[in-house]
Amino acid sequence: MQGKRIEEHFIETEPYYRVQGQELTIALAAHQHKIPLLLKGPTGSGKSRFMQYLAWKLGRPLITVSCHDDLSTSDLVGRYLIRGGETVWLDGPLTLAVRHGGICYLDEIVEARKDTTVVIHPLADDRRELPIEKKGEILSAPPEFMLALSYNPGYQSVVKDLKPSTRQRFIALELAYPSPDIEAEIVQHEAGVSRSEAEKLVHLAEMTRSLEDAGLQEGASTRLLIHAGTLIKSGIPPRQACKVTISETLSDDHELVAAIDEMISSLY
Amino acid sequence: MPSSADHTILARVTAIIPESELNSWEQEELVECLAPLSGRQQELILHQISVIWPVSHSLCLAFLEAAEPALACLDAEQFAAWVRAILHRYEARGLQEARRFMADLESHFICTLKGQSGLLLSTIKKRLDLYLRGVAGRPFVLEEATLPGTDTAAIFLPRNCTLFGDDDANFLVYKLMASLQWAFVRVNLYCHEVPNEQELFRKVARPGSVPPDQPVFLNRFFNLFSRPGRARAIYHFLQTFSALCFLQKKLPGLMADSTAYFQSVAAERAATMEPQSLLAGEYGFLLKQLSRNLPLELPPGPWRRLCHPASWDDSGQIFLDTARIYALWEEKPDQEVARPPWFQGTLQVEAAHARRLARRQEVEQQFIEALAIRILPALARKKEATQAPEATPAETPQQADSAADLSLRLPTPQNEPEKTGPDHNQVVRHIRLDDEKIGLDSKLQELGREIMDDLGHLPQLYLDSAEKMAAGRSYAPNLQTAGPEGAPLLGTNLYDEWDFRRQGFRHNWCRLLEKEIQPCGGTFIAATLNQQRGVIKQLKRQFEQMRSHPRFLGRQRDGDDIDLDALTEAVADQRAGLPPSERLFVRQLRDQRDIAALFLVDISSSTEGWVGKAIKESLLVMAEAMESLGDRYAIYGFSGMRRTRSEVFRVKEMDEPYTETVQGRIAALSPKEYTRMGPPIRHFSKMLATVEARVRLLIILTDGKPEDYDDYKGEYAIEDTRHALVEAKNSGIHPFCLTLDTKAPEYISHLFGAANYLVIDDVKKLPRRLPDMYRLLTS
Repeated sequence: MQGKRIEEHFIETEPYYRVQGQELTIALAAHQHKIPLLLKGPTGSGKSRFMQYLAWKLGRPLITVSCHDDLSTSDLVGRYLIRGGETVWLDGPLTLAVRHGGICYLDEIVEARKDTTVVIHPLADDRRELPIEKKGEILSAPPEFMLALSYNPGYQSVVKDLKPSTRQRFIALELAYPSPDIEAEIVQHEAGVSRSEAEKLVHLAEMTRSLEDAGLQEGASTRLLIHAGTLIKSGIPPRQACKVTISETLSDDHELVAAIDEMISSLY
Repeated sequence: MPSSADHTILARVTAIIPESELNSWEQEELVECLAPLSGRQQELILHQISVIWPVSHSLCLAFLEAAEPALACLDAEQFAAWVRAILHRYEARGLQEARRFMADLESHFICTLKGQSGLLLSTIKKRLDLYLRGVAGRPFVLEEATLPGTDTAAIFLPRNCTLFGDDDANFLVYKLMASLQWAFVRVNLYCHEVPNEQELFRKVARPGSVPPDQPVFLNRFFNLFSRPGRARAIYHFLQTFSALCFLQKKLPGLMADSTAYFQSVAAERAATMEPQSLLAGEYGFLLKQLSRNLPLELPPGPWRRLCHPASWDDSGQIFLDTARIYALWEEKPDQEVARPPWFQGTLQVEAAHARRLARRQEVEQQFIEALAIRILPALARKKEATQAPEATPAETPQQADSAADLSLRLPTPQNEPEKTGPDHNQVVRHIRLDDEKIGLDSKLQELGREIMDDLGHLPQLYLDSAEKMAAGRSYAPNLQTAGPEGAPLLGTNLYDEWDFRRQGFRHNWCRLLEKEIQPCGGTFIAATLNQQRGVIKQLKRQFEQMRSHPRFLGRQRDGDDIDLDALTEAVADQRAGLPPSERLFVRQLRDQRDIAALFLVDISSSTEGWVGKAIKESLLVMAEAMESLGDRYAIYGFSGMRRTRSEVFRVKEMDEPYTETVQGRIAALSPKEYTRMGPPIRHFSKMLATVEARVRLLIILTDGKPEDYDDYKGEYAIEDTRHALVEAKNSGIHPFCLTLDTKAPEYISHLFGAANYLVIDDVKKLPRRLPDMYRLLTS
């Protein structure tokens, strides 16, 4: 991330994203009115892809940070480095985005420590500024700048939850799995399989999602379907492709895997 | 006078069962049963007693009676397998069933031993259940019956499948049968009614015949014909055709895999069937296509000419087609109808009708209750608003009340459900209370939709009942029964209780008593630790990883090592002319988890038997694992009866070390009385709130809904428990629930909120799932 110039963060070609409802309109309105965005949704439902599409649509650079629990404030804001006896200040991804009016997307924000996430607070309300303590500088965000977070509310860990004080600064968009029609369209496009093949995969995904009450943590995501479709397209027999991409990845529980395998063999 | 032989037997018995657990008549009975047996037989039985006794004493005594005849026909290994099967029965279905199982050794056990039972439904039930739930998108109950069938809520399947030699092929048959029954439900096998029944009957019946008086539409239809059996057979054939077409479209893989099965059915029928009998050729035709996995078509000739499968979805067409074929058969008065293939199953018209009525009632009740709660606040507001200006000092309280009631009933109390969308897809989104629009939540909308799908409209009666319920009338008797003892209590550990009808607390309503448990010895601890040692070992390793995950905290003022990142930065800062940071060290974080957990265990009488045992085993396994993790934890049991005596039993306090005494207390947990959840939750929320920890968890293990002996039941109990949990959440505690109640999905997310509970459908998995859940929850 660091060291990459801002120009490299522009998205040149239109990413594939199938709009499902009002999400794009709302996100564009949020950008226009300078309100940050919170994306909620299960794994592999297209949160990151949506951000790419939004950045392309707005013509702004997109800077994505995958959060983890060692992420420090300096990692976000920036730090001094020594180069050839000289000290050089290097902007962190957040600063970079603020400076150039880009979009800063903090993926899986709940993975970051709570003391780190506090740094975004002044950016996320109407002050829209980023204090850089080291440099004694306060950066004001230009109107084009946008902050976006994402997280998966399906996680059950109580240690990882977003503080209400963080939450309440955002417009929240829920990106659930698309409706069957749209999901089939996405799988068809992304995996390059036929429409009927894509519909079958979506049908399988729906079957696994209805196991969520029966011990499965999450059903098959759109991303998994695309993986399965890609393998099928490359000539791997469907039953095997679905087994390795779907049933084995979803669970280690013997009964659940066996039941999903039975669904696969009923479909193919 | 006991003989010396009796003494030796007694000594051996007491070596297995601690003397403290045996009363004198049990001792006598044991000795009496064992004395006449040979030494070897005694040996075998005594060994099994050590297995059965800890599970249930009464089962063990019943086993002793059945053991001798069983030993006459079983060898040692088979005898052990038989005992395992008995325990399985007992765990799954209770003592009565286990007795029955023991009594009928021949049919229940010996034929399984001889390998004649093929694949048993019970062995694959779990897998089939998950499969069906996924395929159907909703749960079905799987039940044993002689022939396959469905009543739209349950799917009946034979007890065993012996068609093929290997289990995989037999499983496929089960899968096909279950899928076919689901397909029947989907193609609307029990078409409950058609909109223009009179017209249909006029078209179908012979002139002059009177439509029979039958409560169920399908029976009414079949009885129009002089030979209802024939009509039934034709109708079932057409529906089977329709369901198989549906399966070919939806589950092509299943139909491709099943060709071998269809071939065998076709061959068997060709050999045994009278070719002249009605439908024999037609079924043969279907089976021929199925064996080759060709797209299904109706048999050529009159069937194809007369029937219109494409429009069977429409009202009544399938009945007209049935009548046409029936008319064709009038020329063959003497021929019998062929036996349908086995996989087709039976048509259970009455059962399906009963199920539908039961479901209708269930939905009605749920809808009324949910709606009552929904309109309660608005109703209370209105009551206040009308009471305030009208109540003059001269009026007695009764008059004021009746005035309030009148105003509620007066103009148009919610009689216009607002319908939106086209007719076939109606959703009621609002109701009206006087002039106020009240929005319905998703659960109410869903119920409303189900009611309209079923009845075609939302009866005004439901709304009236909900209003009455909300106005408190249907609850009035309940409140009165609480009257005589309705005074607030005095003393310590008193807790309020939430009354959803008044939307307020009953103050100092419940008394909670903290009680001691006398630790008990016995074989339970050693046996469990031994039996679960694999799981415990694995868990300890997993939990240790969570603990000893190398975790260094950077940028500290002092610590074990230099933080190179910080140092580099400090040097850079210094060169840049800034004051360098002094936080240059890394320190190993020793107590970064900082989690306090309290396990609250339901020990109401309903947990008797295997449930109680599984809970105790789980606690033991959990405690063992927790020791390697180092989180602080406490364990309490709760039960009690009535509001005056809610009891909690201390197994382990928060900072008490895990000792043999604690183990003994776990072993001594035994089923007590009822499940009043509110007071213990409030008690321990208060206690947890004083514990210093970053994360405070309240983990509740239960086997059912909250319920007490008095009026603490149903909605009231659920709402109080929910309120207690909300109070806990507000004081920074995370409640989480593990429940063994398979009906829990209906109410549990209302209690705990989505993703804050886990339903365990197989009690045996509890020792494994409890620590797994804890790991997931805290990492």
